[in-house]
Amino acid sequence: MRMNKELKRKIEEIYKDTRVEFPERNRMVVKTKKENLLPILEFLKSEEFRQLKAISCVDWIEEGEFELIYQVASLNSPLHIMVKVRIGRENAQIETIIKIFENAQVYEREIHELFGVKFKGNPNLSPLFLENWQSIPPFRKDFDTREYVKEVFDKIPRVESENEKS
Amino acid sequence: MDRKSIIKWIKEPGKMGHKYSLWAVYFCTGCGIIEIPPVITSRWDAERFGVIPVATPRQANLFMITGYVSLKTLKAIIRTYEQMPEPKYTVAFGSCPINGGMYWDSYNTIKHIDKYIPIDGWIAGCMPRPEAIFIAVTKLWMMIDKGAATGYIRYRKNYKFYRRNQEKLFGGLLWPPLYPVDENENE
Repeated sequence: MRMNKELKRKIEEIYKDTRVEFPERNRMVVKTKKENLLPILEFLKSEEFRQLKAISCVDWIEEGEFELIYQVASLNSPLHIMVKVRIGRENAQIETIIKIFENAQVYEREIHELFGVKFKGNPNLSPLFLENWQSIPPFRKDFDTREYVKEVFDKIPRVESENEKS
Repeated sequence: MDRKSIIKWIKEPGKMGHKYSLWAVYFCTGCGIIEIPPVITSRWDAERFGVIPVATPRQANLFMITGYVSLKTLKAIIRTYEQMPEPKYTVAFGSCPINGGMYWDSYNTIKHIDKYIPIDGWIAGCMPRPEAIFIAVTKLWMMIDKGAATGYIRYRKNYKFYRRNQEKLFGGLLWPPLYPVDENENE
C-alpha cells in the first residue's frame, strides 16, 4: 500500500492536471489530459507496469466526449492501473501508443472501427469485424441499430416469394 | 432392415445409401455448436443415425447451421455450401438463423438465413435439445424418401436471386458465380 501512495505522489508531482484515485483495493485510476498520456504510460512502463491489458472507449454523448481507458498491469504487483483520457467527440483524434506498447495496434484498430476515433501514427486502421459498412460507427450512442436493421436486412427480399410472382 | 425397404434398396440404391449416411460438415457458427459434441460422442451417439462430422465440405452432404450467423460467417457459409457435392441438405438449428432470435435488432447478424442459401429443415428452440437433431434427421429421411428435400435443386434454379441477395448484402462478391447467371433472361 505504501508503494501505491508513493506512485500516486510521483505521478501527481511530475504531471500537471492529473488526478490519481483509489476507488477500491488494488485499483488505481489516473485521470489526465491528452498531452500527458504518452509520458505517463512511458513512466508507468519504466515502473514495471509493462503489460497493456486493453484499451476501451466510452461514449459520453451528453458531454460530447469520448473517454479512452488504457488498462495497464504488472506481473510483480497486484495493482491494476487505468489511465483515463477524455477527447472531444467531434473529429476525435489522439496519438497512437504503439511506440510504447506494441500490442495496442489491434485495440486501436478496433476502436477506430467501432467508435470512429482516429489514432494518428497507427499504420493499419482497416476494418476488422464489419463487412461493407455504410453507416456511422455502430458503438456510438447516436447509432440506431433498429433503423439500420430496417434499412439493410429487411430490405433484402425473400427468394421464394419473388419466384412465385414471376 | 424390414422387408418393405428391400424394394427401395433395389430400386434406388444410391438414394438409400446417402440417406443413411448423412455426413455433416463440422462447421461451427455461433453458440449452437455446444450441442454437437454430446450428439456425436457416446452419450447420444449420432452414428446410430449415420451422421458423422467430416473434415472437409467436399465429403459432406449435410450442413447444420448452428446458431447466429454474422456477416463474416455468412461469407464462409456460402463458400462452404457451394463446395459441397450434390445432393446436399441444410438444416438451420436454433432460433437465430430462423428469424434473428435474440439478435433480431443486431447490426451485424443475419436475420433470415433462407434469403441467402436454401434451407431444407428448421429446428426451433434456444437451445434445441440433442434429441431434436435426431428428430430432424429422421424427418429429413422422410423428406428424402418423398423427394421433398429439394434445397440444392432450388438453389440451382433460383441461383440468380440468391446471388443477387448475397451481392446486395456484401456489396459485391470476390468469387465467380457457381452457376451461369444470365441477366437478360429475366427481361
